Amino acid sequence: MAATRRLAKELADLRKAGLKNFKNINVDEQNILLWQGLVVPDCEAYNKGAFKIQIDFPAEYPFKPPKITFKTKIYHPNIDEKGQVCLPIISAENWKPATKTDQVIQSLVALVNEPEPEHPLRADLAEEFSKDRKKFIKNAQEFTKKHSEKRPTD
Amino acid sequence: MGEAAAASGTSNVQFSQLSINVHSAKLATNTGIFSGNVDTFTELCVDGQPPRKTEVCKKTTSPKWDDAFTILVTPYSKIELRIQCVKALRGNVLLGTHTIDLYTLLDENRGKLSKLRKAVPLTNADKKTADLTLIFDGLTVNMKKFPKTSPSNSAVTSNGQVAGAMATTPTGNPREGRSRDSRPAPPRPAPPVPNRSSVIATNATPPAGAGPSENGSDSAPTSEAPASSTDPTNNNEPLPNGWEERVDPQGRHYYVDHNTRTTTWERPQPLPGGWERRVDNRGRVYYVDHNTRTTTWQRPSTDFVQNVQNWTQAWNSNRSQAFEQLQNRTLFNSTMMPNVPTTTPDDSLGPLPEGWEKRADANGRVYYVNHKNRTTQWEDPRTQGTIQEDPLPEGWEMRYTAEGVRYFVDHNTKTTTFQDPRGGPSKGPKGAFGVPIQYERSFRWKLGQFRYLCQSNALPGHVKVTVSRDNLFEDSFAQIMRLQPFDLRRRLYIIFKGEEGLDYGGVAREWFFHLSHDVLNPMYCLFEYASNSNYSLQINPASGINPDHLVYFRFIGRFIAMALYHGKFIDSGFTLPFYKRMLNKKLILKDLESIDSEFYSSLVWIKDNDIEECGLELTFSADFETLGKITQHDLKENGSEVAVTNENKEEYINLMTNWRFTRGVEEQTKAFLDGFSEVVPLEWLQYFDERELELMLCGMQEIDVDDWERNTIYRHYQRTSKQVVWFWKFVRELENEKRIRLLQFVTGTCRLPVGGFAELMGSNGPQRFCIEKVGKETWLPRSHTCFNRIDLPPYRSYEQLVEKLTMAIEETEGFGQE
Repeated sequence: MAATRRLAKELADLRKAGLKNFKNINVDEQNILLWQGLVVPDCEAYNKGAFKIQIDFPAEYPFKPPKITFKTKIYHPNIDEKGQVCLPIISAENWKPATKTDQVIQSLVALVNEPEPEHPLRADLAEEFSKDRKKFIKNAQEFTKKHSEKRPTD
Repeated sequence: MGEAAAASGTSNVQFSQLSINVHSAKLATNTGIFSGNVDTFTELCVDGQPPRKTEVCKKTTSPKWDDAFTILVTPYSKIELRIQCVKALRGNVLLGTHTIDLYTLLDENRGKLSKLRKAVPLTNADKKTADLTLIFDGLTVNMKKFPKTSPSNSAVTSNGQVAGAMATTPTGNPREGRSRDSRPAPPRPAPPVPNRSSVIATNATPPAGAGPSENGSDSAPTSEAPASSTDPTNNNEPLPNGWEERVDPQGRHYYVDHNTRTTTWERPQPLPGGWERRVDNRGRVYYVDHNTRTTTWQRPSTDFVQNVQNWTQAWNSNRSQAFEQLQNRTLFNSTMMPNVPTTTPDDSLGPLPEGWEKRADANGRVYYVNHKNRTTQWEDPRTQGTIQEDPLPEGWEMRYTAEGVRYFVDHNTKTTTFQDPRGGPSKGPKGAFGVPIQYERSFRWKLGQFRYLCQSNALPGHVKVTVSRDNLFEDSFAQIMRLQPFDLRRRLYIIFKGEEGLDYGGVAREWFFHLSHDVLNPMYCLFEYASNSNYSLQINPASGINPDHLVYFRFIGRFIAMALYHGKFIDSGFTLPFYKRMLNKKLILKDLESIDSEFYSSLVWIKDNDIEECGLELTFSADFETLGKITQHDLKENGSEVAVTNENKEEYINLMTNWRFTRGVEEQTKAFLDGFSEVVPLEWLQYFDERELELMLCGMQEIDVDDWERNTIYRHYQRTSKQVVWFWKFVRELENEKRIRLLQFVTGTCRLPVGGFAELMGSNGPQRFCIEKVGKETWLPRSHTCFNRIDLPPYRSYEQLVEKLTMAIEETEGFGQE
């Protein structure tokens, strides 16, 4: 596959870099277009858990951007109940073939740590986040405790 | 709603409309048919007609549908109601039935059913299984006119219609309803034509042991969490018959369809209500939709069904408007054809001046008579003087063909040519906008050439094509492919079954209109919209799901050639790149913008940036996915070994662009072009460019400039900016053809939505026509077809704006678009 070379390199670089907020990168040897990994946030609301995500690369990668889905439920204004997330860096308007998965993940981790209530996918959470931060954090922590994955030990 | 009109006595009972709302039901839970909550729907069947169905109401013993049906009844109609339980593995199971004798009901209510709520008991094997609540409305019958008859004694009425209806009324025997076969005779079988060797072998290979990982990728949908209990969308509905869920070594779930011996990542949805899976006599699986009595190769998902429904609804609600719009499209035929009345209103040049008459001589050559001074002349008085021509060289003479196309006779060499011997553009006169006439497209002239070729190659007699409206596509397919291609150049004589009448062109026009719409039907999987919002058609790379697709493309090729040959318009159009392909023109990067803007942007990025420092890792190869299978293609020999660099990226972009347009559609395109050229040589199209070809095929509609201006938005300009004012002044001064050219330049198509400019679509949904201030006055205007936007530099004067815009419209390629 044409995309294999690029993805294999990106994957090797990513593993070598050893990101502290993105761990357990798991790629099916049969299908390099499908990645999984664990987002490990720092911020108060989510720092007791980890969140499994899936990255789907299209066959036309890097001409078209990858898609990211949360497989672990998360209490977050920018991530909906289906795990869909709206990340500008991989939107149709902003995508560039030179954008690296590494940058995409960094941008995702930043969004998890610092929600953007101005562009919410879940308006109710965005409102809570803006109006009553304490309550939001408390709810997010409870939700994280209940649903999230265990944080990997370093 | 109507009143049952009873003509004299009992002789002729007519049908009236009755509205029945199937409201809700209470199911008895002790019947042994089901335990706990169930999915149910109600069928409503009038006098043995095909049943109407409610939606499925899920997981309850008190289903509420609230579905209203309008049915046609006579006062003697029998209405049978059946509640069916949806069972994934056993098909539907009949819960109970009840037959309403409409006459009795009318009798009880003195002939008037108005908002009448009634609960009826449903039974199964004499056991009451449910109470069904119905609301009747909208029927008033004068009972005096209808004597009481009993079904068993239908001979009493002298009315064959009613008697017949009685005879076919189902008995309501509960056992009969148990099997799916109680449905009315199913529609004709599979869509394909017979006797081509089976192609199914390609997807009949049993799945690889490890599951479908080799073809999974995008097809592994994000909503299917592999082995993850946290998946929020997990659904627990049972799998359809013959399916099995398995887990691969990576713990991912996949699904095996033992019926077709295929695997997929996607969890199969049970077939939607009223659908049935069947196997044809060649062992191929197809799906029957009993709701619409149609068949398709594609397993219907909810999305698919929704798609088809939307498509059908849009068609149904827009059809008459769209056809009306089509009727109004023109292509200056009136001025081309000899022996036409003088003052045809749609003549784009307007009526002749007072006192003039257009005539044709014995050879059919058009000339003009001036009754005021009793003179005649060849030139059209309306264009006379606008084109001042130099005299012809010695020994040359100008003549006209029967269609009024001029040609030149060289008496020196005794040859003829369409080429004007006065030659070069350099000394040519200027056209209306100061551009040399040779630079202006003379679409009218080209069209004349084409028509001349058509007429001189016409064959005597006519060819009859008989089709039924219900089965338009298949009937047309069978007939068109049965005929010799050259027969299709005879005069067409289209007959809609049961509507025999003379075809003076109107019926043919309707046939082209409806059939062109049908080839778009997603059920046939042959064409697809270029994108979610680009309603132009392109070949569907997955059309191979229909094993006979190539024969169909050949048919459509013939059909499109017929439309051009016979001067008829089609309803839907193709993408501009598709027309370019028909003209065998090279496709360029810019052409990609309107059909795949993401891919286009990425290629442009590669073109405009240094690609060596950013680790793109590109080689001269590309991947493509159809139907879940990824194939790699080398753009040149050993392409996967050749890295793309700043030096060779231009070659890469060219090859990639070309491949993007051909991938997955080559065979189909060839079949289409083969079919086309059997009827009309493709060389005949060489006069035209892709935009003109679109105009020929779709016709030109009258552009409403007020509507256009009203629905235009501006960026960095105001509505009152002088360039904007000039722009609209220019548009208003243009003749309709040029307005359409301008529209094509900016939006990529000459076709407008039925709702006009307000409904213009861009690549991200609704997108109004937009004028943006960009660049310097020396620049030419540019267009962005996926945003319906024109970049209009701030020109200094009206004359400058006119000149630049005219250049851009006339010489689209290489100028305005890069």
